[in-house]
Amino acid sequence: MFKPSHASIVGIGDLKPSLNPGGKSTLDFMAEAAALAILDAGLLKNDVDGLLVTPPSEDSYFLWPSQVAEYLQLFPVFMNMVELGGASAAATIARAALLVDAGVCKNCLCLSGGVWDKQVFNTLEGKMAVMSQAEIDYDLPYGPMGFNSGYALIARRHMHEYGTTPEQLAKIAVDQRFNAMANPDALFKNPLTVSDVLASPLVVDPLHLLEIVRPCSGASAVMVSRFPSDANRHDPVLVRGFGEAYTHSSIVYATSLTDSPIKMASHRACQMAGVEIENIDLVSLYDCYTITVLISLEDIGFCPKGKGGKFVENTDLTYNGSLPCNTHGGQLACGQASFAGGMSHVTEAVRQLRGEAGVRQVKKNRVALVNGNGGVMSTQCCLILGRG
Amino acid sequence: MNDYKDTYWQYISSGKLCLQFCPACKQYIFYPRGLCPNCLQSGLEWKEVTGKGRVYSYTIVHISSLPDFQDETPYIYALIELAEGVRMPSNLIDCPMDKVRVGLSVELAFIKRKGKILPVFKPSEATFSINFLTSKGIGGTINNLINKEGSQL
Repeated sequence: MFKPSHASIVGIGDLKPSLNPGGKSTLDFMAEAAALAILDAGLLKNDVDGLLVTPPSEDSYFLWPSQVAEYLQLFPVFMNMVELGGASAAATIARAALLVDAGVCKNCLCLSGGVWDKQVFNTLEGKMAVMSQAEIDYDLPYGPMGFNSGYALIARRHMHEYGTTPEQLAKIAVDQRFNAMANPDALFKNPLTVSDVLASPLVVDPLHLLEIVRPCSGASAVMVSRFPSDANRHDPVLVRGFGEAYTHSSIVYATSLTDSPIKMASHRACQMAGVEIENIDLVSLYDCYTITVLISLEDIGFCPKGKGGKFVENTDLTYNGSLPCNTHGGQLACGQASFAGGMSHVTEAVRQLRGEAGVRQVKKNRVALVNGNGGVMSTQCCLILGRG
Repeated sequence: MNDYKDTYWQYISSGKLCLQFCPACKQYIFYPRGLCPNCLQSGLEWKEVTGKGRVYSYTIVHISSLPDFQDETPYIYALIELAEGVRMPSNLIDCPMDKVRVGLSVELAFIKRKGKILPVFKPSEATFSINFLTSKGIGGTINNLINKEGSQL
């Protein structure tokens, strides 16, 4: 089996998520994050010879990698756009690892960003922009609330099959909020209780407002370099393995609402890295909704299938706990800057593995599992990152 | 080429829910398309379905940003598993919000929304009779009965 042996993360850059883009475009945000990552790596712009981007939130997709490269005045030997929904950001890291391991690139910049505009997002056109044509034709007439209703169907079915409770789901948002209180960049930093979550408006029963990600604007960048690298400002974080799995696009075609392809993706990633579940010190799990995290924990194998509710109830998921999860607060507390929301899971894991997470630094930090999830638990990319 | 999209909606307009069926794979298909997603062959047939099914999962939408639905909340958006084995998104109508359950038996109905006839689902008559018996104090609770049905899904 392929095992990356030369792929390392040497630079990261995150913009503080914001609710007001202040007239900036996705390209502006991306460029700011790119500059931070290049600086953090201790490289020069001209050292960048690979570019992997996630799609823009509002600009034209047309020749998007070229648009980004032109703005940054980069002249890569390889570039591409990765569109796997919420899994896109993690998937850029997997692809960059392949490229640098193969020697195609030395320094591959993985770049993700987006602008949130309520005027666009909440219109019919905005909803249709994230639907397939089949969904527009045969689903939209019934009033689906975008991803909200898809994940509500998943949560309801999980409750039906396994007796999962609203309180158990709420606990995930509460633990992540605790983490966010130690992250100055988080959008939401006030304390939260299970009662607060359950008292927030039911948007799509059984999901409450505080279980649903908040769209925002921002960008994140990660530099993946061939190891050993000239970039030496930090101890490198190795990309030890990745795994992906895809089962459907529309929820109509999900063979199960409660079993997700994360199971295969995480298994493949662990196999490639030669890592057992017991070796994982912390996790960064894509958290568009509370139920996403619960099913991810089950399917990765931290608890038996169907026992996720009890598991989160009895497990401290904060940076102080036995299984630190989304120690930056996750997207639920930091916001989801379009495709860059998923990149924040990567950058936070790198920060933890470097030992640079400050107040929220976890004690055991050798191996991290990062998951990117796209669609309605449709597309999955897991990464195993480790200290060199 | 046969326009499957038009065909689907033409059947709906005439009061029938017809789905594509692959004679080679012996399976129904939703959404409509040009080729069977299993064997990738053309020659899909249209067959009228029974319209009977169960609620596979559902959500009660309390807040909708879709212009046509903002004044319709709360409404039930559901994934219906048809007796023919395929699932389709739809609405559940004529069902009190506190009676919707995973596994609920449903049957086909039609509504007109924005000038377009749509296939939707309502609790089946059998479910109503269970409801009736329960209200007379005969048999188990409606929840128990429905949960039992649901567990067979």
